[in-house]
Amino acid sequence: MKSLSLKNLAKTYFDAYKGEHVTAIRDVSLEVPAGEFVSIVGPSGCGKSTILNMVAGFIPHSGGEILVGGTPVKGPGPDRGVVFQSFALFPWKTVLDNVGFGPKMRGVPKAERDAIAREYLALAGLSHAADRYPNELSGGMQQRVGVVRALANEPDVLLMDEPFASVDAQTRMTLQDELSRIWEERRPTVVFITHDVPEAVFLANRVVVLSKGKVLAEVEVPISRPRVWDRLVADDEFKDLSNQVLALVRSA
Amino acid sequence: MERTSRISAALIFIAPLAVLVALWAVVVPVFGVRPQIFPSVPAVGRAGLDSILDGSLLRHVAASVSRVAIGTVLAVLVAVPLGILMGVSRGVSAFLTPLMRFFSVLAGIAWIPIATLWFGYGFGAIVFVIFNAVFFVVAYNTLLGVSTIPMTLRHAAASLGAGRQAMLTDVLLPGALPNIVTGIRTGLGFAWRGLIAAEMIATDVGLGYMLFVARDFYQTEVIVLGMIVIGTLWLLIDRLILVPLERATIERWGLVSA
Ligand SMILES: Nc1ncnc2c1ncn2[C@@H]1O[C@H](COP(=O)(O)OP(=O)(O)OP(=O)(O)O)[C@@H](O)[C@H]1O
Ligand SMILES: [Mg+2]
Repeated sequence: MKSLSLKNLAKTYFDAYKGEHVTAIRDVSLEVPAGEFVSIVGPSGCGKSTILNMVAGFIPHSGGEILVGGTPVKGPGPDRGVVFQSFALFPWKTVLDNVGFGPKMRGVPKAERDAIAREYLALAGLSHAADRYPNELSGGMQQRVGVVRALANEPDVLLMDEPFASVDAQTRMTLQDELSRIWEERRPTVVFITHDVPEAVFLANRVVVLSKGKVLAEVEVPISRPRVWDRLVADDEFKDLSNQVLALVRSA
Repeated sequence: MERTSRISAALIFIAPLAVLVALWAVVVPVFGVRPQIFPSVPAVGRAGLDSILDGSLLRHVAASVSRVAIGTVLAVLVAVPLGILMGVSRGVSAFLTPLMRFFSVLAGIAWIPIATLWFGYGFGAIVFVIFNAVFFVVAYNTLLGVSTIPMTLRHAAASLGAGRQAMLTDVLLPGALPNIVTGIRTGLGFAWRGLIAAEMIATDVGLGYMLFVARDFYQTEVIVLGMIVIGTLWLLIDRLILVPLERATIERWGLVSA
Protein backbone atom coordinates (compact mmCIF):
# COMPACT_ATOMS: atom_id res chain seq x y z
CA MET A 1 0.00 0.00 0.00
CA LYS A 2 1.37 3.40 -0.96
CA SER A 3 0.21 6.99 -1.06
CA LEU A 4 -0.78 8.83 -4.21
CA SER A 5 -0.05 12.47 -4.68
CA LEU A 6 -1.04 14.78 -7.51
CA LYS A 7 0.75 18.11 -7.64
CA ASN A 8 -0.59 20.88 -9.91
CA LEU A 9 -1.62 18.28 -12.44
CA ALA A 10 -2.68 19.61 -15.86
CA LYS A 11 -3.79 18.08 -19.13
CA THR A 12 -4.35 19.63 -22.53
CA TYR A 13 -5.68 17.50 -25.36
CA PHE A 14 -5.22 18.32 -28.99
CA ASP A 15 -8.58 17.97 -30.66
CA ALA A 16 -7.58 16.92 -34.19
CA TYR A 17 -11.15 17.33 -35.44
CA LYS A 18 -11.49 20.96 -34.38
CA GLY A 19 -7.76 21.62 -34.81
CA GLU A 20 -7.45 23.25 -31.39
CA HIS A 21 -6.21 22.51 -27.89
CA VAL A 22 -8.70 21.59 -25.18
CA THR A 23 -7.83 21.98 -21.51
CA ALA A 24 -9.34 19.05 -19.64
CA ILE A 25 -7.45 19.44 -16.34
CA ARG A 26 -6.41 22.95 -15.30
CA ASP A 27 -4.73 22.53 -11.95
CA VAL A 28 -5.46 19.59 -9.68
CA SER A 29 -3.60 18.85 -6.46
CA LEU A 30 -4.70 15.92 -4.35
CA GLU A 31 -3.17 13.84 -1.56
CA VAL A 32 -4.36 10.28 -1.02
CA PRO A 33 -2.54 8.78 1.99
CA ALA A 34 -1.76 5.06 1.94
CA GLY A 35 -4.81 2.97 2.77
CA GLU A 36 -7.36 5.73 2.11
CA PHE A 37 -10.42 5.43 -0.10
CA VAL A 38 -11.09 8.60 -2.13
CA SER A 39 -14.06 9.07 -4.47
CA ILE A 40 -14.03 11.66 -7.24
CA VAL A 41 -17.39 12.97 -8.44
CA GLY A 42 -18.36 15.72 -10.84
CA PRO A 43 -20.49 16.48 -13.88
CA SER A 44 -19.85 14.76 -17.19
CA GLY A 45 -16.82 16.14 -18.98
CA CYS A 46 -15.21 17.70 -15.88
CA GLY A 47 -12.09 15.56 -16.35
CA LYS A 48 -12.54 12.58 -14.01
CA SER A 49 -11.47 9.91 -16.51
CA THR A 50 -8.63 12.11 -17.70
CA ILE A 51 -7.16 12.18 -14.19
CA LEU A 52 -7.50 8.44 -13.80
CA ASN A 53 -5.96 7.70 -17.19
CA MET A 54 -3.00 9.91 -16.38
CA VAL A 55 -2.47 8.24 -13.01
CA ALA A 56 -2.76 4.83 -14.68
CA GLY A 57 -0.13 5.98 -17.18
CA PHE A 58 -2.33 5.38 -20.23
CA ILE A 59 -1.99 9.00 -21.37
CA PRO A 60 0.81 11.50 -20.63
CA HIS A 61 0.13 14.56 -18.48
CA SER A 62 0.89 18.04 -19.74
CA GLY A 63 1.99 19.59 -16.46
CA GLY A 64 2.53 18.91 -12.77
CA GLU A 65 3.48 15.68 -11.03
CA ILE A 66 2.01 12.28 -10.24
CA LEU A 67 3.76 10.42 -7.43
CA VAL A 68 3.02 6.91 -6.19
CA GLY A 69 4.83 6.37 -2.89
CA GLY A 70 6.99 9.33 -3.86
CA THR A 71 8.02 7.91 -7.25
CA PRO A 72 6.93 9.70 -10.44
CA VAL A 73 4.62 7.78 -12.77
CA LYS A 74 5.98 6.87 -16.19
CA GLY A 75 3.52 4.82 -18.21
CA PRO A 76 1.31 1.95 -17.02
CA GLY A 77 2.61 -0.43 -14.38
CA PRO A 78 1.53 -3.15 -11.96
CA ASP A 79 1.90 -0.80 -8.97
CA ARG A 80 -1.39 0.78 -10.09
CA GLY A 81 -4.25 -1.67 -10.59
CA VAL A 82 -7.13 -0.53 -12.80
CA VAL A 83 -10.78 -1.58 -12.85
CA PHE A 84 -12.53 -0.53 -16.05
CA GLN A 85 -16.15 0.41 -16.65
CA SER A 86 -16.19 -2.01 -19.60
CA PHE A 87 -14.64 -4.74 -17.37
CA ALA A 88 -11.83 -5.34 -19.94
CA LEU A 89 -11.56 -9.05 -19.14
CA PHE A 90 -9.58 -11.14 -21.63
CA PRO A 91 -12.30 -13.07 -23.50
CA TRP A 92 -9.83 -15.83 -24.42
CA LYS A 93 -8.87 -16.58 -20.83
CA THR A 94 -10.91 -18.37 -18.20
CA VAL A 95 -11.86 -16.46 -15.07
CA LEU A 96 -9.02 -18.21 -13.22
CA ASP A 97 -6.47 -17.20 -15.85
CA ASN A 98 -7.79 -13.64 -15.97
CA VAL A 99 -7.26 -13.30 -12.23
CA GLY A 100 -3.91 -15.08 -12.43
CA PHE A 101 -2.69 -12.80 -15.22
CA GLY A 102 -0.94 -10.28 -12.97
CA PRO A 103 0.93 -12.96 -10.98
CA LYS A 104 1.82 -14.64 -14.29
CA MET A 105 3.42 -11.40 -15.46
CA ARG A 106 5.45 -11.38 -12.24
CA GLY A 107 6.74 -14.84 -13.11
CA VAL A 108 4.78 -16.73 -10.44
CA PRO A 109 4.63 -20.46 -11.39
CA LYS A 110 1.32 -21.85 -12.63
CA ALA A 111 0.33 -23.86 -9.53
CA GLU A 112 1.09 -20.98 -7.23
CA ARG A 113 -0.74 -18.34 -9.25
CA ASP A 114 -3.77 -20.60 -9.56
CA ALA A 115 -3.80 -20.81 -5.76
CA ILE A 116 -3.58 -17.02 -5.50
CA ALA A 117 -6.36 -16.59 -8.05
CA ARG A 118 -8.60 -19.06 -6.23
CA GLU A 119 -8.04 -17.31 -2.93
CA TYR A 120 -9.08 -13.96 -4.42
CA LEU A 121 -12.04 -15.48 -6.27
CA ALA A 122 -13.25 -16.90 -2.97
CA LEU A 123 -13.05 -13.38 -1.51
CA ALA A 124 -15.74 -12.27 -4.00
CA GLY A 125 -17.77 -15.47 -3.84
CA LEU A 126 -16.71 -16.49 -7.34
CA SER A 127 -15.07 -19.85 -6.69
CA HIS A 128 -17.67 -21.69 -8.74
CA ALA A 129 -16.93 -19.58 -11.84
CA ALA A 130 -13.17 -20.21 -12.01
CA ASP A 131 -13.23 -22.33 -15.16
CA ARG A 132 -15.76 -20.30 -17.11
CA TYR A 133 -15.07 -17.77 -19.82
CA PRO A 134 -16.05 -14.11 -19.27
CA ASN A 135 -18.80 -14.17 -21.89
CA GLU A 136 -20.53 -16.90 -19.89
CA LEU A 137 -20.95 -14.58 -16.89
CA SER A 138 -23.46 -11.85 -16.05
CA GLY A 139 -22.28 -8.22 -16.05
CA GLY A 140 -22.18 -8.15 -12.26
CA MET A 141 -20.05 -11.28 -12.11
CA GLN A 142 -17.74 -9.99 -14.82
CA GLN A 143 -17.06 -6.85 -12.83
CA ARG A 144 -16.44 -8.88 -9.68
CA VAL A 145 -13.77 -10.67 -11.70
CA GLY A 146 -12.45 -7.28 -12.86
CA VAL A 147 -12.09 -6.08 -9.27
CA VAL A 148 -10.57 -9.35 -8.10
CA ARG A 149 -8.11 -9.41 -11.00
CA ALA A 150 -6.82 -5.98 -10.01
CA LEU A 151 -6.63 -6.93 -6.32
CA ALA A 152 -4.84 -10.25 -6.96
CA ASN A 153 -1.91 -8.33 -8.38
CA GLU A 154 -1.57 -6.52 -5.02
CA PRO A 155 -1.18 -3.02 -6.46
CA ASP A 156 -0.05 -0.09 -4.33
CA VAL A 157 -2.98 1.95 -5.58
CA LEU A 158 -6.30 0.76 -6.99
CA LEU A 159 -7.91 2.95 -9.68
CA MET A 160 -11.56 2.50 -10.59
CA ASP A 161 -13.41 4.46 -13.30
CA GLU A 162 -17.18 4.09 -12.90
CA PRO A 163 -16.75 0.34 -12.39
CA PHE A 164 -20.38 -0.30 -11.46
CA ALA A 165 -22.04 2.04 -13.96
CA SER A 166 -23.04 -0.68 -16.41
CA VAL A 167 -24.77 -3.11 -14.04
CA ASP A 168 -28.36 -2.98 -12.79
CA ALA A 169 -29.20 -1.09 -9.59
CA GLN A 170 -29.73 -4.20 -7.48
CA THR A 171 -26.39 -5.73 -8.46
CA ARG A 172 -24.68 -2.38 -8.02
CA MET A 173 -25.67 -2.22 -4.35
CA THR A 174 -24.40 -5.75 -3.79
CA LEU A 175 -21.10 -4.87 -5.47
CA GLN A 176 -20.81 -1.74 -3.33
CA ASP A 177 -21.40 -3.80 -0.17
CA GLU A 178 -18.75 -6.27 -1.30
CA LEU A 179 -16.19 -3.62 -2.26
CA SER A 180 -16.75 -1.90 1.08
CA ARG A 181 -16.16 -5.19 2.92
CA ILE A 182 -13.05 -6.02 0.90
CA TRP A 183 -11.66 -2.55 1.49
CA GLU A 184 -12.25 -2.86 5.23
CA GLU A 185 -10.43 -6.22 5.23
CA ARG A 186 -7.44 -5.23 3.11
CA ARG A 187 -7.26 -1.43 3.27
CA PRO A 188 -5.91 -0.74 -0.23
CA THR A 189 -5.36 2.84 -1.42
CA VAL A 190 -8.28 3.52 -3.77
CA VAL A 191 -9.26 6.27 -6.20
CA PHE A 192 -12.84 5.66 -7.22
CA ILE A 193 -14.56 7.67 -9.94
CA THR A 194 -18.32 7.82 -10.21
CA HIS A 195 -21.33 9.85 -11.27
CA ASP A 196 -23.34 8.38 -8.46
CA VAL A 197 -23.10 10.60 -5.35
CA PRO A 198 -24.55 8.10 -2.81
CA GLU A 199 -22.11 5.50 -4.15
CA ALA A 200 -19.21 7.91 -3.68
CA VAL A 201 -20.23 8.73 -0.11
CA PHE A 202 -21.02 5.12 0.81
CA LEU A 203 -17.57 3.88 -0.19
CA ALA A 204 -15.15 6.70 0.55
CA ASN A 205 -13.23 8.25 3.43
CA ARG A 206 -13.25 11.45 1.43
CA VAL A 207 -15.19 12.70 -1.60
CA VAL A 208 -13.53 15.09 -4.04
CA VAL A 209 -15.86 17.21 -6.15
CA LEU A 210 -14.36 18.13 -9.49
CA SER A 211 -15.55 20.96 -11.70
CA LYS A 212 -14.19 22.07 -15.08
CA GLY A 213 -10.77 20.56 -14.51
CA LYS A 214 -10.34 21.84 -10.94
CA VAL A 215 -11.08 20.61 -7.43
CA LEU A 216 -14.21 22.42 -6.24
CA ALA A 217 -14.40 20.90 -2.76
CA GLU A 218 -13.33 17.99 -0.59
CA VAL A 219 -15.82 16.43 1.82
CA GLU A 220 -14.74 14.11 4.64
CA VAL A 221 -16.97 11.08 5.28
CA PRO A 222 -16.60 10.15 8.95
CA ILE A 223 -19.38 7.52 8.87
CA SER A 224 -18.33 4.50 10.95
CA ARG A 225 -17.47 1.14 9.45
CA PRO A 226 -18.35 -1.53 8.58
CA ARG A 227 -20.68 0.15 6.12
CA VAL A 228 -23.51 -1.86 4.59
CA TRP A 229 -26.54 -0.59 2.69
CA ASP A 230 -28.93 -2.25 5.14
CA ARG A 231 -27.73 0.19 7.77
CA LEU A 232 -26.91 3.25 5.67
CA VAL A 233 -30.14 3.61 3.66
CA ALA A 234 -31.83 4.97 6.77
CA ASP A 235 -28.81 6.71 8.28
CA ASP A 236 -29.25 10.47 8.75
CA GLU A 237 -25.54 11.27 8.68
CA PHE A 238 -25.27 9.46 5.36
CA LYS A 239 -28.26 11.34 3.93
CA ASP A 240 -26.94 14.71 5.06
CA LEU A 241 -23.50 14.09 3.57
CA SER A 242 -24.99 12.84 0.31
CA ASN A 243 -27.18 15.93 0.04
CA GLN A 244 -24.22 18.16 0.80
CA VAL A 245 -22.12 16.54 -1.98
CA LEU A 246 -25.08 16.54 -4.35
CA ALA A 247 -25.53 20.29 -3.85
CA LEU A 248 -21.83 20.82 -4.62
CA VAL A 249 -22.04 18.73 -7.80
CA ARG A 250 -25.15 20.67 -8.89
CA SER A 251 -23.35 23.95 -8.39
CA ALA A 252 -20.29 22.72 -10.31
CA MET B 1 -30.59 -35.03 -26.93
CA GLU B 2 -27.14 -33.88 -28.07
CA ARG B 3 -26.76 -37.14 -29.99
CA THR B 4 -30.11 -37.10 -31.75
CA SER B 5 -29.68 -33.47 -32.79
CA ARG B 6 -26.29 -34.36 -34.24
CA ILE B 7 -27.74 -37.25 -36.20
CA SER B 8 -30.62 -35.16 -37.49
CA ALA B 9 -28.17 -32.38 -38.46
CA ALA B 10 -26.14 -34.93 -40.42
CA LEU B 11 -29.30 -36.22 -42.11
CA ILE B 12 -30.37 -32.71 -43.09
CA PHE B 13 -26.91 -32.17 -44.52
CA ILE B 14 -26.88 -35.42 -46.51
CA ALA B 15 -30.49 -35.36 -47.74
CA PRO B 16 -30.03 -32.91 -50.66
CA LEU B 17 -26.92 -34.75 -51.80
CA ALA B 18 -28.81 -38.06 -51.69
CA VAL B 19 -31.63 -36.55 -53.75
CA LEU B 20 -29.11 -35.35 -56.32
CA VAL B 21 -27.54 -38.81 -56.62
CA ALA B 22 -30.97 -40.45 -56.90
CA LEU B 23 -31.97 -38.02 -59.66
CA TRP B 24 -28.73 -38.74 -61.46
CA ALA B 25 -29.27 -42.53 -61.15
CA VAL B 26 -32.72 -42.16 -62.76
CA VAL B 27 -32.07 -39.53 -65.43
CA VAL B 28 -29.04 -41.10 -67.12
CA PRO B 29 -30.68 -44.45 -68.12
CA VAL B 30 -34.17 -42.98 -68.71
CA PHE B 31 -32.92 -40.40 -71.20
CA GLY B 32 -30.19 -42.65 -72.54
CA VAL B 33 -27.45 -40.07 -71.88
CA ARG B 34 -24.28 -41.08 -73.72
CA PRO B 35 -21.27 -41.82 -71.44
CA GLN B 36 -19.16 -39.29 -73.43
CA ILE B 37 -21.53 -36.58 -72.16
CA PHE B 38 -22.22 -37.75 -68.62
CA PRO B 39 -21.43 -41.07 -66.87
CA SER B 40 -23.89 -43.35 -65.08
CA VAL B 41 -23.77 -43.89 -61.32
CA PRO B 42 -22.42 -47.46 -61.63
CA ALA B 43 -19.71 -46.31 -64.07
CA VAL B 44 -18.45 -43.75 -61.58
CA GLY B 45 -18.63 -46.34 -58.83
CA ARG B 46 -16.54 -48.73 -60.93
CA ALA B 47 -14.05 -45.96 -61.78
CA GLY B 48 -13.76 -45.20 -58.08
CA LEU B 49 -13.18 -48.82 -57.17
CA ASP B 50 -10.61 -49.28 -59.97
CA SER B 51 -8.66 -46.19 -59.00
CA ILE B 52 -8.65 -47.23 -55.37
CA LEU B 53 -7.48 -50.76 -56.24
CA ASP B 54 -4.66 -49.66 -58.57
CA GLY B 55 -3.59 -47.00 -56.06
CA SER B 56 -3.89 -44.09 -58.49
CA LEU B 57 -6.61 -42.29 -56.55
CA LEU B 58 -4.58 -42.39 -53.35
CA ARG B 59 -1.55 -41.07 -55.25
CA HIS B 60 -3.49 -38.11 -56.67
CA VAL B 61 -5.18 -37.32 -53.35
CA ALA B 62 -1.90 -37.57 -51.44
CA ALA B 63 -0.17 -35.24 -53.91
CA SER B 64 -2.94 -32.63 -53.77
CA VAL B 65 -3.44 -32.73 -50.02
CA SER B 66 0.27 -32.57 -49.22
CA ARG B 67 0.72 -29.55 -51.50
CA VAL B 68 -2.15 -27.74 -49.82
CA ALA B 69 -0.93 -28.70 -46.36
CA ILE B 70 2.65 -27.57 -46.97
CA GLY B 71 1.68 -24.34 -48.73
CA THR B 72 -0.88 -23.45 -46.08
CA VAL B 73 1.31 -24.20 -43.08
CA LEU B 74 4.21 -22.20 -44.55
CA ALA B 75 1.92 -19.29 -45.37
CA VAL B 76 0.35 -19.19 -41.89
CA LEU B 77 3.75 -19.42 -40.19
CA VAL B 78 4.98 -16.37 -42.08
CA ALA B 79 1.73 -14.40 -42.30
CA VAL B 80 0.71 -14.40 -38.63
CA PRO B 81 3.90 -12.90 -37.14
CA LEU B 82 4.07 -10.42 -40.01
CA GLY B 83 0.42 -9.45 -39.57
CA ILE B 84 0.92 -8.91 -35.84
CA LEU B 85 4.01 -6.79 -36.37
CA MET B 86 2.11 -4.71 -38.89
CA GLY B 87 -0.83 -4.42 -36.52
CA VAL B 88 1.30 -3.07 -33.69
CA SER B 89 2.21 0.04 -35.64
CA ARG B 90 -0.60 2.24 -36.82
CA GLY B 91 1.56 3.85 -39.52
CA VAL B 92 2.77 0.57 -40.95
CA SER B 93 -0.73 -0.89 -40.99
CA ALA B 94 -2.17 2.19 -42.72
CA PHE B 95 0.56 1.89 -45.35
CA LEU B 96 0.23 -1.85 -45.94
CA THR B 97 -3.53 -2.31 -45.71
CA PRO B 98 -4.27 -1.28 -49.33
CA LEU B 99 -1.46 -3.54 -50.59
CA MET B 100 -2.78 -6.46 -48.56
CA ARG B 101 -6.29 -5.92 -49.91
CA PHE B 102 -4.97 -5.76 -53.45
CA PHE B 103 -3.03 -9.01 -53.16
CA SER B 104 -5.83 -10.73 -51.24
CA VAL B 105 -8.04 -10.32 -54.29
CA LEU B 106 -5.31 -11.54 -56.65
CA ALA B 107 -4.67 -14.54 -54.46
CA GLY B 108 -4.73 -17.96 -56.09
CA ILE B 109 -5.18 -18.68 -59.74
CA ALA B 110 -3.79 -15.41 -61.05
CA TRP B 111 -0.34 -16.41 -59.80
CA ILE B 112 -0.18 -19.64 -61.85
CA PRO B 113 1.44 -18.24 -65.02
CA ILE B 114 4.20 -16.40 -63.19
CA ALA B 115 4.71 -19.30 -60.78
CA THR B 116 5.43 -21.67 -63.67
CA LEU B 117 7.89 -19.18 -65.10
CA TRP B 118 9.74 -18.93 -61.80
CA PHE B 119 9.55 -22.51 -60.53
CA GLY B 120 8.97 -24.57 -63.69
CA TYR B 121 6.28 -27.23 -63.77
CA GLY B 122 5.69 -29.24 -60.60
CA PHE B 123 5.73 -29.09 -56.83
CA GLY B 124 7.39 -25.69 -56.37
CA ALA B 125 5.04 -23.76 -58.62
CA ILE B 126 1.95 -25.31 -57.07
CA VAL B 127 3.05 -24.79 -53.47
CA PHE B 128 3.86 -21.19 -54.40
CA VAL B 129 0.33 -20.67 -55.70
CA ILE B 130 -1.13 -22.16 -52.50
CA PHE B 131 1.22 -20.06 -50.38
CA ASN B 132 0.04 -16.87 -52.07
CA ALA B 133 -3.59 -17.83 -51.83
CA VAL B 134 -3.28 -18.24 -48.07
CA PHE B 135 -0.54 -15.77 -47.17
CA PHE B 136 -2.09 -12.43 -48.12
CA VAL B 137 -5.52 -13.22 -46.76
CA VAL B 138 -4.15 -14.47 -43.44
CA ALA B 139 -1.70 -11.57 -43.08
CA TYR B 140 -4.46 -9.06 -43.83
CA ASN B 141 -6.87 -10.68 -41.40
CA THR B 142 -4.22 -10.87 -38.69
CA LEU B 143 -3.54 -7.17 -39.14
CA LEU B 144 -7.26 -6.51 -38.96
CA GLY B 145 -7.58 -8.70 -35.88
CA VAL B 146 -4.83 -6.89 -34.01
CA SER B 147 -6.21 -3.47 -34.85
CA THR B 148 -9.69 -4.39 -33.62
CA ILE B 149 -8.52 -5.47 -30.15
CA PRO B 150 -10.09 -2.89 -27.80
CA MET B 151 -7.56 -0.43 -26.39
CA THR B 152 -8.84 -1.12 -22.88
CA LEU B 153 -7.63 -4.73 -23.15
CA ARG B 154 -4.11 -3.56 -23.94
CA HIS B 155 -4.36 -1.05 -21.11
CA ALA B 156 -5.58 -3.74 -18.74
CA ALA B 157 -2.66 -5.99 -19.68
CA ALA B 158 -0.13 -3.18 -19.31
CA SER B 159 -1.44 -2.21 -15.89
CA LEU B 160 -1.19 -5.85 -14.80
CA GLY B 161 2.49 -5.78 -15.67
CA ALA B 162 2.58 -7.15 -19.24
CA GLY B 163 5.75 -6.21 -21.12
CA ARG B 164 6.30 -6.28 -24.88
CA GLN B 165 6.70 -10.04 -25.11
CA ALA B 166 3.63 -10.85 -23.00
CA MET B 167 1.59 -8.26 -24.88
CA LEU B 168 2.34 -10.17 -28.09
CA THR B 169 1.75 -13.71 -26.84
CA ASP B 170 -1.02 -13.10 -24.31
CA VAL B 171 -3.02 -10.27 -25.84
CA LEU B 172 -2.32 -9.53 -29.51
CA LEU B 173 -2.05 -13.11 -30.75
CA PRO B 174 -5.11 -14.53 -28.96
CA GLY B 175 -7.03 -11.32 -29.61
CA ALA B 176 -6.37 -11.64 -33.33
CA LEU B 177 -7.00 -15.38 -33.43
CA PRO B 178 -10.66 -15.25 -34.47
CA ASN B 179 -9.70 -13.09 -37.44
CA ILE B 180 -6.75 -15.36 -38.18
CA VAL B 181 -9.09 -18.34 -38.29
CA THR B 182 -11.41 -16.47 -40.63
CA GLY B 183 -8.39 -15.68 -42.79
CA ILE B 184 -7.34 -19.32 -42.87
CA ARG B 185 -10.86 -20.34 -43.92
CA THR B 186 -10.94 -17.85 -46.78
CA GLY B 187 -7.35 -18.58 -47.77
CA LEU B 188 -7.86 -22.34 -47.79
CA GLY B 189 -10.90 -21.86 -50.00
CA PHE B 190 -8.81 -19.89 -52.48
CA ALA B 191 -6.01 -22.44 -52.13
CA TRP B 192 -8.21 -25.44 -52.82
CA ARG B 193 -9.60 -23.91 -56.01
CA GLY B 194 -6.20 -22.60 -57.04
CA LEU B 195 -4.72 -26.03 -56.46
CA ILE B 196 -7.05 -27.76 -58.89
CA ALA B 197 -6.44 -25.12 -61.52
CA ALA B 198 -2.68 -25.20 -61.03
CA GLU B 199 -2.58 -28.98 -61.21
CA MET B 200 -4.34 -28.90 -64.57
CA ILE B 201 -1.52 -26.80 -65.93
CA ALA B 202 1.64 -27.36 -63.99
CA THR B 203 2.10 -31.01 -63.00
CA ASP B 204 1.64 -34.72 -63.77
CA VAL B 205 0.01 -35.90 -60.56
CA GLY B 206 -2.84 -34.65 -58.37
CA LEU B 207 -6.61 -34.35 -58.59
CA GLY B 208 -6.57 -31.45 -61.05
CA TYR B 209 -4.25 -33.43 -63.32
CA MET B 210 -6.51 -36.49 -63.02
CA LEU B 211 -9.50 -34.44 -64.25
CA PHE B 212 -7.55 -32.85 -67.04
CA VAL B 213 -6.14 -36.11 -68.45
CA ALA B 214 -9.49 -37.87 -68.22
CA ARG B 215 -10.99 -35.19 -70.42
CA ASP B 216 -8.54 -36.02 -73.21
CA PHE B 217 -9.84 -39.62 -73.21
CA TYR B 218 -13.54 -38.72 -72.81
CA GLN B 219 -13.49 -40.57 -69.45
CA THR B 220 -16.43 -38.66 -68.01
CA GLU B 221 -16.71 -41.21 -65.17
CA VAL B 222 -13.18 -40.27 -64.01
CA ILE B 223 -13.94 -36.56 -64.32
CA VAL B 224 -17.07 -36.86 -62.21
CA LEU B 225 -15.26 -39.11 -59.74
CA GLY B 226 -12.57 -36.44 -59.42
CA MET B 227 -15.15 -33.73 -58.86
CA ILE B 228 -16.83 -35.77 -56.15
CA VAL B 229 -13.49 -36.41 -54.44
CA ILE B 230 -12.56 -32.71 -54.61
CA GLY B 231 -15.87 -31.64 -53.07
CA THR B 232 -15.77 -34.34 -50.43
CA LEU B 233 -12.22 -33.51 -49.40
CA TRP B 234 -13.21 -29.87 -48.95
CA LEU B 235 -16.13 -30.88 -46.76
CA LEU B 236 -13.72 -32.96 -44.68
CA ILE B 237 -11.30 -30.04 -44.36
CA ASP B 238 -14.22 -27.88 -43.29
CA ARG B 239 -15.61 -30.33 -40.74
CA LEU B 240 -12.38 -31.72 -39.36
CA ILE B 241 -10.18 -28.61 -39.31
CA LEU B 242 -12.01 -25.32 -39.82
CA VAL B 243 -15.17 -25.87 -37.79
CA PRO B 244 -13.30 -27.20 -34.72
CA LEU B 245 -10.89 -24.24 -34.96
CA GLU B 246 -13.81 -21.83 -35.00
CA ARG B 247 -15.54 -23.65 -32.14
CA ALA B 248 -12.43 -23.42 -29.99
CA THR B 249 -11.92 -19.71 -30.57
CA ILE B 250 -14.67 -17.53 -31.93
CA GLU B 251 -17.67 -19.29 -30.43
CA ARG B 252 -16.10 -20.32 -27.13
CA TRP B 253 -14.94 -16.81 -26.38
CA GLY B 254 -18.25 -15.31 -27.45
CA LEU B 255 -16.54 -12.97 -29.88
CA VAL B 256 -19.42 -13.47 -32.27
CA SER B 257 -22.84 -14.62 -31.21
CA ALA B 258 -22.70 -18.27 -32.12
N1 LIG C 1 -8.83 12.13 -26.45
C1 LIG C 1 -9.39 13.35 -26.28
N2 LIG C 1 -9.21 14.33 -27.19
C2 LIG C 1 -9.75 15.56 -27.01
N3 LIG C 1 -10.49 15.90 -25.94
C3 LIG C 1 -10.73 14.96 -25.00
C4 LIG C 1 -10.19 13.64 -25.12
N4 LIG C 1 -10.58 12.94 -24.03
C5 LIG C 1 -11.32 13.77 -23.28
N5 LIG C 1 -11.42 14.98 -23.85
C6 LIG C 1 -12.13 16.15 -23.29
O1 LIG C 1 -11.64 16.39 -22.00
C7 LIG C 1 -12.70 16.72 -21.12
C8 LIG C 1 -12.71 15.78 -19.93
O2 LIG C 1 -13.04 14.46 -20.38
P1 LIG C 1 -13.16 13.23 -19.39
O3 LIG C 1 -13.41 12.04 -20.21
O4 LIG C 1 -11.99 13.21 -18.48
O5 LIG C 1 -14.47 13.63 -18.56
P2 LIG C 1 -15.24 12.79 -17.44
O6 LIG C 1 -15.33 13.65 -16.25
O7 LIG C 1 -14.64 11.44 -17.27
O8 LIG C 1 -16.68 12.66 -18.09
P3 LIG C 1 -17.75 11.48 -17.94
O9 LIG C 1 -18.36 11.68 -16.60
O10 LIG C 1 -18.72 11.74 -19.04
O11 LIG C 1 -17.02 10.17 -18.07
C9 LIG C 1 -13.97 16.69 -21.94
O12 LIG C 1 -14.28 17.99 -22.33
C10 LIG C 1 -13.62 15.87 -23.12
O13 LIG C 1 -14.34 16.25 -24.25
MG1 LIG D 1 -15.30 9.40 -17.67
